[in-house]
This record gives sequence, C-alpha cells and structure tokens, in this order.
Amino acid sequence: MDRYPQSVALIAPGVAIMIAAFAVPVAMMLSMGIHGDQGFTFEYILAFVTDPFYLGIGWRTVKLALIISVVCVLVGVPLAYVMARGSRRLRTFLLICVTLPLMTSVVVRTFGWMVILGRNGLIADMLFDLGLVRRNFSLMQTETAIVIGMVQVVLPFMVLTVLGVMQRLDPRLEEAARVMGCTFVGSLRRVVLPGAMPGIVSGFLLVFSLSASYFVTPMLLGGARLPTVAASIYEAATKTLEWNFAAAQSLILLCGLLLLLFTYSLAARKANG
Amino acid sequence: MVDHSPLWLRLVTACLTSTIVIFLIAPLLIVVGVSFTAGDYIAFPPQGLSLRWYAKILSEQVYTSSFAMSLWVACLVTVSATAIGTAAAIALHREVLPGSRAISGFFFAPIILPSIILGLGLLIVWSRVIGATSVLTVFVGHFVLALPYVIRTTLAVLTTSDPFLEEAARTMGAGPWQSLWRVTVPQCAPGIAAGAFFAFNISFDEAVVSLFLRSPDIMTLPIQIYTQLEFSPDPSIAAVSSLMIGLTIVLIVLIERVVGLQKITE
Repeated sequence: MDRYPQSVALIAPGVAIMIAAFAVPVAMMLSMGIHGDQGFTFEYILAFVTDPFYLGIGWRTVKLALIISVVCVLVGVPLAYVMARGSRRLRTFLLICVTLPLMTSVVVRTFGWMVILGRNGLIADMLFDLGLVRRNFSLMQTETAIVIGMVQVVLPFMVLTVLGVMQRLDPRLEEAARVMGCTFVGSLRRVVLPGAMPGIVSGFLLVFSLSASYFVTPMLLGGARLPTVAASIYEAATKTLEWNFAAAQSLILLCGLLLLLFTYSLAARKANG
Repeated sequence: MVDHSPLWLRLVTACLTSTIVIFLIAPLLIVVGVSFTAGDYIAFPPQGLSLRWYAKILSEQVYTSSFAMSLWVACLVTVSATAIGTAAAIALHREVLPGSRAISGFFFAPIILPSIILGLGLLIVWSRVIGATSVLTVFVGHFVLALPYVIRTTLAVLTTSDPFLEEAARTMGAGPWQSLWRVTVPQCAPGIAAGAFFAFNISFDEAVVSLFLRSPDIMTLPIQIYTQLEFSPDPSIAAVSSLMIGLTIVLIVLIERVVGLQKITE
C-alpha cells in the first residue's frame, strides 16, 4: 500500500516545523531555569521560592485564578445548559455571543474594560449616582478589575468545553427522571450535573491554567502594583532581561499546572475504579 | 411529555442568560461607542458623534504601517499553516502512521501550553541562536499557534467524509497524489477554509507571543494598541479596535457560512 509513504510525506513538514519552532525553543528555555553559566543550579528557582515578594506574587496568581475559575463554572455551566437545551436559533445566537468575544483580540477587550471600570467609567458613574462612592472612584488597579476582565476573557472557553459534553448527553435521560417524579431542579442535580461533570472539570482546569498564565489583562487592569507570575515573567524577560530567572518562573508555573492536571487524572482514575 | 420547568425558573434563566450575554458583549459595544465620539477624550457615552477618529487613524502612519504588518504576517500564517496543517490532518486521519496519537497530541500541545511559555522560549532561543528577533520570529510563533486549529477543523470535516471515495479513485487508476488532490482535498475543503479563517484571526489578533518579541521594528496592530494603552490612550485606539472587531465579525460570518459554528464546537 503506497498510502504509508505518502502519509509520511504529508506529515513530515508539520512535525519538522513543530520540533524546530515549538519543542526545541520551549525545552531550551525551560532548561535555562535550572542551568546557569556554571552548569546545573537551583539558584533561580530558590530566588523565587525563598523571596516573600515573589511568594506573594505566586499566592495572588493562585488566588485570582481560583476565583476566576469558580466564577466561570457558576456562570458558564448554566449558560452552556441553556445553549444545549434551547432552540436551534437561540443556540446559534448565544454561540455567536460567545465566539465574538473569544475571537476578538484580548487587547481590544481589555481596552473595553478599561473604559468601563476606569475613572468616569460606566461603573464609577453608576455607583456615584447611587451615592455609594466618592467622585473619582475607580475600579482600575484592583484585584476586582482583574477578576472581572479575566472572567470575560476566559468564560467562552468554559462555555464551549461544557457545551461540547452537554450536547452529547441524551435529553431523554432528563425526561425519564421527570417522568419518574423528579423535580426540574432535581433532574438538573441528579442527571445533568453528573453527566456534564467531566466537561465542567476539564473546563475548570483549562480556565484555571489560562488565568494563571495570562499577563495582558492583569497588567493593564491591575497595574504594576498587582503583579501576577505571568506579569513577573514578562518583566524579567523584557525589562530587566534576567532570562534565567524568567525561565525559572516559567518552569515553576508549568510544574504547578502539570501537578494540577496530574492530581486530577489520578483522582479521575480512582473515581472510575 | 412532562411539563418542562416552572415559570419562575424560566424567568430566572432568561434574566441570567441576558446578563451573561451583556457581560460578554459589553466591552466590545463600549469600544465601538467610544470610537464615534466627537470629543477629545475617551468617554462613554460618546460626546457627540463624528468619524474624526477614523479619519485620523487612516492618515496616521503608525496605524497604517502596523496594520500592513499585521495583515502581511496574518496572510503568511494563513497560507503556510493551512497548507501544512491540512496535509498533517489528512495523514493523521488515515491512522496508518505509528504513534499517530502521540503526533496529534504534539500538534495540539500549543493550545494547552500557556502561550507565555512559547513567547519566552522563542524570545530567548531566537536571540541566542539566530540573533535579534524580527517579523520572521513573530510569524513563526503565530504559525505554531494557528496550526492546531487548522488541523482540528480539517479533521472535523474528514471524520464525516466518505473513506471509500479515495479507494474508489485508486481502483479506477488514479495515482496516490492524484487521488489525494482530486478526491480527498476537495472533500475537506470546508474544513480547510474554516481553518484558514481561524489561522488568520489568531495571527491578526495575537498579542502574547508578539509582546515578548516586541521591538521598534515589530509593531503589529495589537502591539500598537497595547503600547498606546500603557501610555496615553485617545479615541483613535477605539477606532482601530472597532475595525478589528468588524474584521472578526466578517470572519465569524464566513466560518458560519462555510462549516457552521455548531460543527466547530462539537
């Protein structure tokens, strides 16, 4: 069969470029986190994990990513359910409302939030009119601003992941539960949620890893006083030019995320017997 | 058939859904609103209506040249990622190669790996091995990010195609490359087209990898916007952003027409 040599020829350019442009740079960069001029060293890793300043950055990153992911679950799962069970037209409409922001540049969306959250922005004006805040109130440079902006940036990933799983759930299972006397809320709790759980968990992991590693939105909305690990990597890489330290922080970030995935797959395996 | 759900629950659902939709769309609407202001400052609601900021960006070289650069890179990425991604997807779909699953995992890795890591890797390794980063580096980074999307859309169409058509072509005497070009490629044309639109969108809007490679010579449109946002944003940023939103809408309509958004998400 001559499909084999042809398949090799078809896949070779892609594999070659991916090795040269992706695997090699990423691997070389990560190895720089534990390699100094004098060879192997933990110097850069220790510089991060022993400095209270950087530990604070790490804690803020985890905390914000956790809040963002939990909000995304609370908001995204109901929306995905409405999309999965709604009429075709409603689904298409909502799908466009989810894909349009997803496919719009992150700088553009963040700019929109800067206008809404900033001084004299919509939120500040509204709160001022209600007499809740003083003039010149601004949400910018706060962790709240980062959470609001980031939820909008990553929510589409959550919705699409959960939707993919929910569309494969048989709606007749819910009907069966209802016929057997289950209330609507009961059928959500006993049929839909368990069925959609794999999607919810993978959506959570995806959104968590995205929010823990984003820097454009946190830097613009949170400012220099509220750095996250990703922003600190960007600083070290482009402003202070400490590449080994930037690489070490990337290594820590990546290991943290991999540890999370690993724990999850272990737990999933245990749960499935 | 049982009664669907109580009325109060339907009302709550409707309120919740519209709130989420507003939350998702608001930043975009605000940006478009600001772009039409007649005033000198970024303000919403806009102070008076005019097209003066659109006139300004069309006559300012910083915007026209960064637009040209983004367009140039995005077109290169689209052509190369579509060609190489389609070929890879066809080979993966056949499942004749050893380790097909591992290879496809490798291709999809850039979707899962934070792009900050790709950006930093390209910056460091390119500077050490090749020299100063250039538009070529940006192109390479965007290519890596776009490739998995082309492969995914093409694979999605291939899985619903008829595997026997290619065999039939071979039986009728077509050579392996002839049947590939005349039968397989036309079969997955919608997937290829959708992949091309995604590739263009990813490259044109990409900010993370480009920011790592940022230099005075590398000023794509998103980087230009980011730079202005850091310093002194004026409504011309809103006008540029609105044009980018417009382009995204065009791409979404094209994808919807060619394969349908539903299919991509399944």
